[in-house]
Amino acid sequence: MAEKKIAVRSQDPNQRRVLDSATRQRRLTRQLEALEKDNFQDDPHASLPQLVKRLPQFDESNESGKRRKKTRGDHFKQRFRKNFQTLLEEEDLSVSEGPNYLTACAEPSKFPLRHFCALCGLPSNYTCVSCGARYCCVRCLGTHHETRCLKWTV
Amino acid sequence: MSTLVLDNGANFAKIGYSHEKVSVIPNGQFRSKTSRLKTFTASQLDEIKDPSGLFYILPFQKGYLVNWDVQRKVWDHLFGKDMFKVDFADTNIVITEPYFNFSSIQDTMNEILFEEYQFQSALRINAGSLSAHQYFHENNSELCCIVVDSSFSFTHIVPYCRGRKMKEGICRINVGGKLLTNHLKEIISYRQLHVMDETYVINQVKEDVCYVSQDFYKDMEIAQLKGEDNTVMRDYVLPDFSSIKKGFCKPREEMNFTGKYKTAEQILRLTNERFAVPEMLFHPSDIGIQEMGIPEALVNSINNMPEEMQPHFYKNIVLTGGNTLFPGFRDRVYTEVRALAPVEYQVSVVLPQNPICYPWEGGKLLAENPDFEEMVVTREDYEENGHYVCEEKFDI
Repeated sequence: MAEKKIAVRSQDPNQRRVLDSATRQRRLTRQLEALEKDNFQDDPHASLPQLVKRLPQFDESNESGKRRKKTRGDHFKQRFRKNFQTLLEEEDLSVSEGPNYLTACAEPSKFPLRHFCALCGLPSNYTCVSCGARYCCVRCLGTHHETRCLKWTV
Repeated sequence: MSTLVLDNGANFAKIGYSHEKVSVIPNGQFRSKTSRLKTFTASQLDEIKDPSGLFYILPFQKGYLVNWDVQRKVWDHLFGKDMFKVDFADTNIVITEPYFNFSSIQDTMNEILFEEYQFQSALRINAGSLSAHQYFHENNSELCCIVVDSSFSFTHIVPYCRGRKMKEGICRINVGGKLLTNHLKEIISYRQLHVMDETYVINQVKEDVCYVSQDFYKDMEIAQLKGEDNTVMRDYVLPDFSSIKKGFCKPREEMNFTGKYKTAEQILRLTNERFAVPEMLFHPSDIGIQEMGIPEALVNSINNMPEEMQPHFYKNIVLTGGNTLFPGFRDRVYTEVRALAPVEYQVSVVLPQNPICYPWEGGKLLAENPDFEEMVVTREDYEENGHYVCEEKFDI
């Protein structure tokens, strides 16, 4: 980040970086995708040595294992580990007719949008010039500049 | 021949034999920072002493089953000798799937049920169809109903007529309990305390403290007041897992409106978050998701149906799923739909006693239905004909 921000009001308008609408849209999409995550921390077991995981597990699955068909190791795992996006693409829904997963998605609302201050949650009337975040009062704007404005970019 | 009914949800699996009661068990695996070696599966979650920073491994992604490794482990645990002791050769299974489930997932499910577990017969069905079945059983005279299933991954609005779902009317809003919890985590982390890792704790906060407001702007104004006048504000005591095992909301009498608390508890002060978070179900555009909210999508979905059926749909709106447990949810849906629906139609919104287990009860009813034998696919059938017979019989 080239510019250093010291105070809100004494900002030289030429120095502030302003994000264009495409970048703002990308940031918004990033935020929405982050909302879909299961976990925000790393797996606590990730740093354990592999040896631990290979310990035999003496549970009931071993007894009924004889009844089950032998599964073909890697191929099985490969098929069963695809993520959602891959599965959706495999379905190839654009060529199918009739209602499907994609057409079932709700359309945009007909009602006007409401905006809320990113800081305190109250209805907001104003937008940050640089990044497009909403705020309700000058105090919130100050906090926003100090903490979040353009702190990360897409 | 017993029948096992399994409502396989992204958050909870509702499972039970059709002649017994239902158990609600988390559908996933968990890892904790403190007990480093063990991965807890499903109901073993209760054994964890310290659920702070709990790491979730869920087989579902965006509402669809993608991770079969984890799902098989959970099912092994549920079907094994600790839980339901299933005798596969002698059991039918009724299992639920999401709407418009992908054919690859359906095929895999067939394989796993018949080839790996070797159930005697299986019925794959949408959860909403089970709810509709239960509803039509309770209300014999009704022909149509519209099921709103608002749960962990998303919300579906599905019209049913004479027991069949109407595919053209299915509407999906990508807002679910997971999104609400994550959003609440974000705003608390920004405004008060970093809780991004604490899904389990904040989920509890959401369930204890959030409600659906009947008049959003009025509640917003009340939330801005200071001190005693702010009836919306609540303090929530966070658990520290040594003395306080479970978080709870402080009653209003004990709240300290001026100054700080003297005790060592960690407190979250929640004002507009209490009703702004569930508001996302009604206005997903508040957060930037360009989709309609539940009441609008309901009306939209009904308008796509033939004219003569529309009044019947308005009279039979059924709410299911975990999100409907927010206080005030049913009344809010009623008010908004009443405002959007034509004046001459009667609007009636039904919230069952137990919205989470409602589809399971429908499955239990279905298992006792005399037509049940014709609806299932037996293992012999599958081994002869393969996936084709399942595609034909099941209407997913």
